[in-house]
Amino acid sequence: MAAPVSAVAAGSATVTYSPALRVQGMDAVSFRVSASFNFPRQRANFQSIRARRIPKRFQVSCSAKQETVDKVCEIVKNQLALPEDTTVIGETKFVDIGADSLDTVEIVMGLEEAFQISVDESSAQEIQTVEDAAALIDKLITEKDA
Amino acid sequence: MPLPPPPSPSPAPRTPGIAGGRLFASLPPPPPLRSRREVHVWYLLPDELNDASLLKMYTELLSPSERKTALSMNGEKLQKGAVLSRALVRTTLSRYTDCKVDPRSFEFKKNKFGKPEILWRSDDSRMERPLHFNISHTSSLIACGITMDTSIGIDVEDKKRKTTKNILSLARRYFTPSEIDYLAKIPDPDGQQKEFIKLWTLKEAYVKALGRGFSGAPFNKFSIILAANNRIQISVAPKVSNGSDSSCDCLSENWQFALAELNSSHCMAICIEDDSTSSDSENGRLPLGLKVWKTIPFVEDILVSGTEAVKLVS
Repeated sequence: MAAPVSAVAAGSATVTYSPALRVQGMDAVSFRVSASFNFPRQRANFQSIRARRIPKRFQVSCSAKQETVDKVCEIVKNQLALPEDTTVIGETKFVDIGADSLDTVEIVMGLEEAFQISVDESSAQEIQTVEDAAALIDKLITEKDA
Repeated sequence: MPLPPPPSPSPAPRTPGIAGGRLFASLPPPPPLRSRREVHVWYLLPDELNDASLLKMYTELLSPSERKTALSMNGEKLQKGAVLSRALVRTTLSRYTDCKVDPRSFEFKKNKFGKPEILWRSDDSRMERPLHFNISHTSSLIACGITMDTSIGIDVEDKKRKTTKNILSLARRYFTPSEIDYLAKIPDPDGQQKEFIKLWTLKEAYVKALGRGFSGAPFNKFSIILAANNRIQISVAPKVSNGSDSSCDCLSENWQFALAELNSSHCMAICIEDDSTSSDSENGRLPLGLKVWKTIPFVEDILVSGTEAVKLVS
């Protein structure tokens, strides 16, 4: 499902976009647009794209495996002792479920143990959602097995 | 006390209503920060704040994006915590400008590593020496530290917080060898947990003061040393000159720490830049001037430093 991307920008703008990350249970496909802008005064006229600066690493990203996402959700729910009915899905942001820095390092450690990987601080800092964590894990496992 | 005039119009449309000054009319202004060594901490207890109209008033102080962020939190408790955090920052900062800047008028930006800072407008020339702040929250306590002209980091933690991972495993994964040794020597689990929380909050406070994010000052690149005489020192691992570790280039040791037990329930660590000259001897270094208030914004302030509610560890 491709959405037309039209950008009328004053000044130079380079727009690249990465394939959509499909989110389980949702029909909408969201495009992540990584752009560097150079606007003098006018604002660009975007039609239905949300421009978001994303880490360079994710510019060419693949979907995280659903089973990885599920496992991450399980580890997160255990760490934060969330009530059973709390919704934790790929799109869930760690800050939104009240994970503080100590929770985060414990979650990272739990993920390292569960997946037999090693996560460095700068990668860990980029993680905002469960999906981000799962995508990183899949990437690290692929690199490890390569 | 004469009330200051309402502040000049702020950029975004605001809910018409009382100016910041009048909201605080019933409370004495906080004492000014007299030097760069002074740290003022204001904290509130979310569980005590359940008045719907007060919470509504706090919510109205937030910017539209802050409100949106708060409401996107999962569940009422987290949403309330998010509102209270922002309200605490805004009201406290306003009081330190003598209410000349309305709580709703403050704008914030993030430095390139994501640390929130005040965005001062060029016409805020009344603020000759800019205020610095840092917040920390747990589900049961939110604290805001304020300094004048010096970077600050603050971290609070429930003193009884239990980790899900084993403490020495956590230390081995994230801390330095000297810190692991320190913890490993403590025989009882409760004592070990207590010291872990102290080290954790001190390290967090340093990283937050530095403002470069967790990866800008990795925990295993600097050691916190809790000396027998309650002195807290920081020691940075010597830089290996192979050029590969540029992220640790600027880890510095000229920072001062304070550690206290707050409200008999929390461990609080504070870190500010140490501007002692090299001629100051270890003994001559002035202590950090710490004042702490328990507050309910607009309603009451209780100065708690010097009482049982603030037990200085160092």
